Amino acid sequence: MPSEIGQIAWRHKSVIDIEGWTEEELYFLLDQARHMENVMDRPIKKVPVLRGKMCVNLFFENSTRTRVSFELAEKMLSADVVNWSVSGSSTAKGETMRDTAWTLEAMGADIVVMRHGAVGAPQYLASKLKRAIVLNAGDGTHAHPTQALLDMYTAWKHLGRLKGKKIALVGDVLHSRVARSDVIGFKTLGCDVVLSGPPTMMPREVNELGCGYERDARKAVEEADMVYLLRIQRERQQDGLFPSVDEYHRWWGADEELLKLAKPGALVMHPGPINRGVEIASEVADGPQSVILEQVRSGVAIRMALLYLCGGGAR
Amino acid sequence: MKTLFSGFKIFDGEKFVNEDSLLVENGKVAKIGSGLKCEGAEVIDGGGKILTPGFIDLHAHFRDPGYEWNEDLTSGAKAGAAGGFTTLVAMPNTKPAICDPALIEYVLSHGKAAGASRILPAGCVSKDRKGVEMAELRKMAEAGAVFFTDDGSPVATSDLLRLALLYAGKDLPRIMEHPEETSLCKNGQVHEGRVSAMSGLKGMPAASEEIDVARGIALARETEGRIHFTHVSCAGALGLIRQAKKEGLSVTCDTTFHHLTLNENAVISSGYNSRFKVNPPLRSIDDQAALWEGLQDGTVDAIVTDHAPWHMDDKDEPFQEAPFGIASLECAVAVLLDYRTRKYPDIPLELLFAKMTSSPASLLPEEWQQLGRLKEGAVADITIIDEDRTRIVDCSQWNSKARCCPWEGTALTGWPVATYIDGRKIWQDEEEA
Repeated sequence: MPSEIGQIAWRHKSVIDIEGWTEEELYFLLDQARHMENVMDRPIKKVPVLRGKMCVNLFFENSTRTRVSFELAEKMLSADVVNWSVSGSSTAKGETMRDTAWTLEAMGADIVVMRHGAVGAPQYLASKLKRAIVLNAGDGTHAHPTQALLDMYTAWKHLGRLKGKKIALVGDVLHSRVARSDVIGFKTLGCDVVLSGPPTMMPREVNELGCGYERDARKAVEEADMVYLLRIQRERQQDGLFPSVDEYHRWWGADEELLKLAKPGALVMHPGPINRGVEIASEVADGPQSVILEQVRSGVAIRMALLYLCGGGAR
Repeated sequence: MKTLFSGFKIFDGEKFVNEDSLLVENGKVAKIGSGLKCEGAEVIDGGGKILTPGFIDLHAHFRDPGYEWNEDLTSGAKAGAAGGFTTLVAMPNTKPAICDPALIEYVLSHGKAAGASRILPAGCVSKDRKGVEMAELRKMAEAGAVFFTDDGSPVATSDLLRLALLYAGKDLPRIMEHPEETSLCKNGQVHEGRVSAMSGLKGMPAASEEIDVARGIALARETEGRIHFTHVSCAGALGLIRQAKKEGLSVTCDTTFHHLTLNENAVISSGYNSRFKVNPPLRSIDDQAALWEGLQDGTVDAIVTDHAPWHMDDKDEPFQEAPFGIASLECAVAVLLDYRTRKYPDIPLELLFAKMTSSPASLLPEEWQQLGRLKEGAVADITIIDEDRTRIVDCSQWNSKARCCPWEGTALTGWPVATYIDGRKIWQDEEEA
């Protein structure tokens, strides 16, 4: 793993998106995550950098994985952690989001980790908070910055500097916040990103995302250094976006045959949870090229790094 | 009672005239001339400001009856006056929807009681705005309706739209269509294009508007009826309307101040702020440019606010959870004048003023058509504009109950400073007084 990364002045506080981050900043964060990952291997998995800070994990959408990942990261950094889960929208609960924001601040929250089904909700929350910072744990179809960061971290550990690497992202890009953030992140690192999936699950103006699109997954995957499968929600089929799961799997699902078209040893990634037999065949998910479980571990490390840098530890 | 406006640049509804004075007597324009003097008249010195026929907004929502905490006919009429608009057409999508003569009377009388701008009601095309049966169009016309529209939605079926066009013919007020093919916009939030690609928000494609405009044109052709498409927002729909006009059909349209001055990039750069959430959505840069072309070649007949006020409690929410609608009555004119100065300085002011005066007036029933022109004998509805006035948009000072708009905090140059109806002053900027 390269370790030529020097110190930089960290300028980000709230993190809504990684749009506008520099390559240098991304690598600096990835390098920090490497140090954090070492903490995870210690017999006593705890460092005191967020001691006395209060983290609120404010989740308006069910997400056990992301919530637990953040919670572990916060606890390993010695923060005090409160989980605040709200089902449905803020309005369904009868409280406006600005009241929620002011309530959190009145209670003394320092860091709010927010997951919300509505695009722009974390940005909105951040605009109402005077002191606390907001880390976006996923807002609707818009952005999922920590997922993209952990994906970059995982890829970097295996492939080294990512400039010029070819990344194929296959699946439901239209509804995927993971895809949007990954495209931004990997492109900032100089990767060649190609999207694939049914045209009904692609934004019409896909070129606005700044990357190529191939209908044919085989073309997208050709000579790729990494194949990234996006989760297919079965209700999309009921929405009429594709005719059947079987048809989807045959054309856009990753099986051994498709994987053979990528570079030998190409990485296979997925944000989880996986749908076996839909976007990914079991032999690929469990095969030697899959780093899906490693991504889960990376998630804790990258969230520790982000909490440390943005949450006050670095200052 | 006589008032002499002297020392103004006078726009008569079509052009700037050479004369600089205008005498109002008993609520009518008595004379337009140069250096007029009049014994016993109150003299208002223009100092080179612009005097135009009062601006006419063919499309505004006042939420009254039914949702008065967002706006009512009093606050709406006052907001219009403070925005330079002396005539406002109230959309009928209230609760209950304005679909019978008694409700038309309600809007007229409550509007009048405000003592500010004239509020002229539009009635629904369908009973209770349900899109099933035709409402009592003739009775509503007799009571004072100036348009028929199910705005907020398109006329639900082609059959109903066809019948309404046939029934209204050329003697009843025009049918105003909200052009949208709704099945393409289900759960839609933003324009299908750059903004939907970047955010993943469900897009509303321009094709939705084009399809409904094509339907309306085909039916106008078949019935020889008159159709007016409101808040037209995209190049494709304008192209169809341009073609229909060439063909000689009775097809007209308007676009909004915000579609002329904003595009989808504003949604992105605001970080998905609900202030920019509106239907039809802010479209692409190309669509925006096409609207300016449409203004210049005569395809667009009028500029409207589509003022859609919401209480902050409802509108100040994350983008996806907020309702559609931009409130703009009290800054729309300044927004347009400022934008023109910066982006289209070669487009004459006369063109824009005509689209807010004589041109929309010509789409109203005959008794109101004189409103858009200043000539001897005409109703003295007047707006005074100071082209050089710079002010910062501050919604907290509005007469409207809405407290949030896309231009909050923006410095704009070119503001209305006074409005008159029937020669009577209904509003004046504090700095003028």
